[in-house]
Amino acid sequence: MKIEYINPFLNAVDNAMETMIGVSPVRDKPYIKDSRTTTGDITGVIGFAEKRISGSVALSFPTKTILKIYELMMGAPVDEINNEVDDIVGELTNIVVGGAKKEFSELGLPFNISLPLVVSGTNHVIKHKHDNPVMVIPYSVEGNKFIMEISLMVK
Amino acid sequence: MKVLVVDDSVTMRRIIINSLKSSGFDDIVEAGDGVEGLANMDGVELVLTDWNMPNMDGLTFVKELRKSPVYADIPIIMITTEGAKTEVVEALKHGVNNYVVKPFDKETLLSKVNATIKG
Ligand SMILES: [Mg+2]
Repeated sequence: MKIEYINPFLNAVDNAMETMIGVSPVRDKPYIKDSRTTTGDITGVIGFAEKRISGSVALSFPTKTILKIYELMMGAPVDEINNEVDDIVGELTNIVVGGAKKEFSELGLPFNISLPLVVSGTNHVIKHKHDNPVMVIPYSVEGNKFIMEISLMVK
Repeated sequence: MKVLVVDDSVTMRRIIINSLKSSGFDDIVEAGDGVEGLANMDGVELVLTDWNMPNMDGLTFVKELRKSPVYADIPIIMITTEGAKTEVVEALKHGVNNYVVKPFDKETLLSKVNATIKG
């Protein structure tokens, strides 16, 4: 996976977090995913496709992290994952993939994006668009971890 | 001024509505997609709408409003993750008056709202 195709997603995560919660996420070393399940308790997934580019991106959060993000975004705490927390996961995924879409469009690779799908539960499986290796980017916000998974094919 | 906020994300609607309220707007109705939006247009003087939504997306909703003699000139602001130039141009071509790209901060949103209603 070329780095120029990863950067739009990295930039979009930074921009989403800085604008929506006022915190710059700290990024750790990326790795290749080696299992079908994810590390988070709740995950938003969006697929995208066009002639030359297709793939899917997932944002996956442990409960503690997403409750913190909810509080920072909405200005009020919540005790557990509920419909509104699901909603925020979907919308954050939407904002990240939408932000990346703008940069890809400037690279001459426009694409259309799906509506977000939100999945939760311990060790849930995330279905990506392609069977090729999925890149995982680990992050933390104020010490709370989350990950982004990227599955991408560019022709 | 009565405002309609259309977005399939309930939390995003809340963020937008709270921003509007902090700026003195107090007559606000909300809808989760374009179909609900069309059903709640009574008395509305300003529309803020998302683009990517189920049932009826924001661009289709805007086209429907522009077709109607009652709402042909109503100010519409699109608030969306769709920030690519081709999308912005398409939305403006179909009658969107102003455009806010998500993620946005409150100041940007309110300055676009004020510019649109003074417009
Ligand atoms: Mg939406």
